[in-house]
Amino acid sequence: MRAVEQIRAFGYNRCVNSEIALFVFIPFCKIKCTYCDFNAYANLARVMEPYADAVAQEISDCRLQIADLTAKSLYFGGGTPSLVPVAQIEKILRACESRFAFAPGIEITLEANPATADETKLRAYRALGINRLSIGVQSFDDATLRRLNRGHTVADAIEMFELARRAGFDNINLDFIFGLPLQTLADWRATLRRAIALAPEHLSLYALKVEEHTGLEHQIARGKYPKPDDDLAADMYELAEEMLDTAGYAQYEISNWTRSVGVGNWKLDVGRQSNIQLPTSNFQSRHNLTYWHNEPYLGFGAGAHSFFERARFWNVLSPVEYIEKITRGESAMADREEINRELEIAETMFLGLRLNEGIAFENFAQRFGEDARVRYAKEIEELKEMGLIEMSDARVWLTPRGRLLSNEVFWRFLP
Amino acid sequence: MDQSHIRNLCIIAHIDHGKSTLTDRLLEQTGTLAKRDMVEQVMDQMDLEREKGITIKAKAVRMSYRARDGIEYELNLIDTPGHVDFTYEVSRALAACEGAVLVVDATQGIEAQTLANLYLALEHNLTIVPVVNKIDLPSARPDEIAHEMENLLAVPNDQIIRASAKSGVGTADILEAIVARIPPPRADSTLPLRALIFDSKYDSYKGVVAYVRVVDGELPKNKKIKLMSSGLEIDALEVGAFRPKMVAGETLIAGEVGYVATGLKNVRDIQVGDTITHSENPATEPVPGFRPAKPMVFAGFYPTETNDYPLLRDALDKLKLNDASLTYDPETSAALGFGFRCGFLGLLHLEIVQERLEREYDLDLIATAPSVEYHVLKHTGEIITVDNPAEMPDGSEILEIEEPWMHIQVFTPKDYIGAAMDLVTTRRGTFDKMEYLDETRVMLGYVMPLSELIIDFYDQLKSRTRGYASLDYSFANYRASELVKLNVLVNEESVDALSMIVHKDYAYARGAALCKKLKEVIPQQQFPVPIQAAMGGRIVARETIRALRKDILAKCYGGDVTRKRKLLEKQKAGKKRMKRFGSVDIPQEAFMAILKLDENR
Repeated sequence: MRAVEQIRAFGYNRCVNSEIALFVFIPFCKIKCTYCDFNAYANLARVMEPYADAVAQEISDCRLQIADLTAKSLYFGGGTPSLVPVAQIEKILRACESRFAFAPGIEITLEANPATADETKLRAYRALGINRLSIGVQSFDDATLRRLNRGHTVADAIEMFELARRAGFDNINLDFIFGLPLQTLADWRATLRRAIALAPEHLSLYALKVEEHTGLEHQIARGKYPKPDDDLAADMYELAEEMLDTAGYAQYEISNWTRSVGVGNWKLDVGRQSNIQLPTSNFQSRHNLTYWHNEPYLGFGAGAHSFFERARFWNVLSPVEYIEKITRGESAMADREEINRELEIAETMFLGLRLNEGIAFENFAQRFGEDARVRYAKEIEELKEMGLIEMSDARVWLTPRGRLLSNEVFWRFLP
Repeated sequence: MDQSHIRNLCIIAHIDHGKSTLTDRLLEQTGTLAKRDMVEQVMDQMDLEREKGITIKAKAVRMSYRARDGIEYELNLIDTPGHVDFTYEVSRALAACEGAVLVVDATQGIEAQTLANLYLALEHNLTIVPVVNKIDLPSARPDEIAHEMENLLAVPNDQIIRASAKSGVGTADILEAIVARIPPPRADSTLPLRALIFDSKYDSYKGVVAYVRVVDGELPKNKKIKLMSSGLEIDALEVGAFRPKMVAGETLIAGEVGYVATGLKNVRDIQVGDTITHSENPATEPVPGFRPAKPMVFAGFYPTETNDYPLLRDALDKLKLNDASLTYDPETSAALGFGFRCGFLGLLHLEIVQERLEREYDLDLIATAPSVEYHVLKHTGEIITVDNPAEMPDGSEILEIEEPWMHIQVFTPKDYIGAAMDLVTTRRGTFDKMEYLDETRVMLGYVMPLSELIIDFYDQLKSRTRGYASLDYSFANYRASELVKLNVLVNEESVDALSMIVHKDYAYARGAALCKKLKEVIPQQQFPVPIQAAMGGRIVARETIRALRKDILAKCYGGDVTRKRKLLEKQKAGKKRMKRFGSVDIPQEAFMAILKLDENR
């Protein structure tokens, strides 16, 4: 597929109501990390099998009018999907396959944590058609990993990466967090160096946010760790941008980079040219691009979110309650929010601006029948003035400063 | 009703010493309210009163009580506000009574406000019925406290009633003592009418309703009456008593407490302390003690949303219907736009009005730090009054500034004398006197500027004395002081609403503390923001808010866009609550920062 066609393929109007992303949530973990406020549990192993049954059933029972839809991606997120026996993953995957048509070359991702899967398991994933592995490494510093209660070592993470390569995974993402308790700029530099040395196809780097009611929040309140230093976190982010750029990684979203294979030090520079060239071998996460393009997706499992036909809806959080509801033949939906035009426009803006390519005015016009430059003339002018966004004839996107201050940009687009 | 069977009384108590609970018990025991109709704090009908456990408006209730002597008595209980802000209102309510039940908490002892109100009561020759309350609490020291009362109030120990308003112990004794000890009103029904107004409220059906005590003569309905201070003539549309709801009657006789409905639209026409007489055959002299309400503390109220200005004006108009002491005049601030300079009796009054505006009228307000009224003598010989620091003329124009000084009384255990003394001296206070209340507690008297008293003084006093000290104050006089205006510059621009008047010797310390505080409360902007305090053209303090470099949401997990959007909405709403000044967003609390200065001397 040619580059321009590919961009079109992920453009705004084509996918709507024709291709869809599927998400499956796995709420189980070996232990709970101190910073985590996800819907994940360390003591629910006993319900793994009934949970997988329930998810498979939810998928089969899915009554949405989507007979002619094809799935372009399937994502097993958690929690720790790699903790679940392969048979359960297979059961869910088969349910998806029989309920939805899989597009050719569908991207199937599974999140894995170090020390939860051996080579056999990884090979089995591969055999199932899982073609992308996302490993939660978080840090290449053992002391930091211990502080976070990650339950694995640096060696475990490297071992998993190598096993995954050996099992045939040629599209691997590594997840990292920066701004961690007691983490220094030097620690972070060392982590990035080791990450680059492994040459994964994809890197996700997230700034730590201390969430309410987490162990970490408690530790900080007690004075065990200092409060996060935003200036240091900003320095870390800028360091990452610089090091990854030098190492041949192209940033395509606030927190995401891909290795630009085959194009040397190819830089994504959409600003100066309206005729965009993207690398032909594209490791961008197609699943996550669905969110950022504000396109439809269906989520299955406890607390899973869906966006479909101008509504967002989500399931009950508790895995046990989820299983009970599904087993009784009831809907597991907890709540639903209609997305009117104004909300959809706002969400399209703040999700799309996360991408380095930003918002293409043509795509916006095709989707909403109006010119974003007119609608947001005041906001765009103000943000340009602040140096947070840049604009060409075709697009508007965040500046490097704008990426670090993205919330200051995003809230302005809310209705 | 025979005048000799009337008893008019009030209850004096410090906050939380049990006044409301005792009132509830009296209403219950006299059958004024059936038990099933009782809610706690029956008399305190405002939400704020119940929440804060205080009485803001005076109220009255008439109870019928058949005493042990077989006679049915009419007891008129006037519920008075306890706070020092309302001392004048209290004095008018006391003037309507012949006796007071003095309630002292058996665990806490006598407090400053108790004593201040007691002195007021003695000034009005009221008979005191002393009560030690909460005797059933484990930490109660009824004998010790009774001893304290005996020493301080000169009441015979055997007359002090031990009670627990909560369980009802002693209520019967209190009722008997009221009848036996408090004298009936000495009122002459043959003289021309004189009725003392001790409060008023606005009723949408009856117009302004005056709460009155008939001092002389008789007040029947449908007769032309006259307000003696203004000469305003009106009809007594309805007269009656509070039981506790208004119940209309034919007349109020000499010595009785009740209400008269006037049909007036403006509560300001019926001023507390004024005297009502008849148009025909009027009294020659009013009841003494009348003084028009005079605000002492001033603050600017501004709507956060400029569009809400008319709403704020309407809300103030409505509050004013029931609050004659509230004043407000339009004012403009370069920083905050259009608003009102409001005058209050004191800080509590300010706080109450602000909370009511925000709650009952759903307004988002920015209140500037409170100020006092300065008298400024200019070189030209002109004297002006200034109640807004922003309007203080340039130092070069000023010959002299006078500010209000207060008498203050601090009651504290003697261990904290040093702490209280320290605080007062850092607030320019000077020592006046010290009296031992008993072996462990003292009363300290000082004079100090009101401007120092309204800047976080009470909270500081409480924290330095571990909550033990209590405070009372009253106006002393105006005195010349070496005062200067401190301007605050945010991002190089002067913000008028942040300026303050301080004593010259404190300019550096206050300026530094204010800059430091503002640095904490003004959120980081995308560029460094200098904050400076300046005296005349000279910078006396400076801080810099570092630039905001990072504002990113965490991972948007599994497509939970709703949560993400909600967080952004919160951020947007937060921005809306701030005032944009130049290119800097200043939040509401910055304008009150002056109140919370942490001066590390």
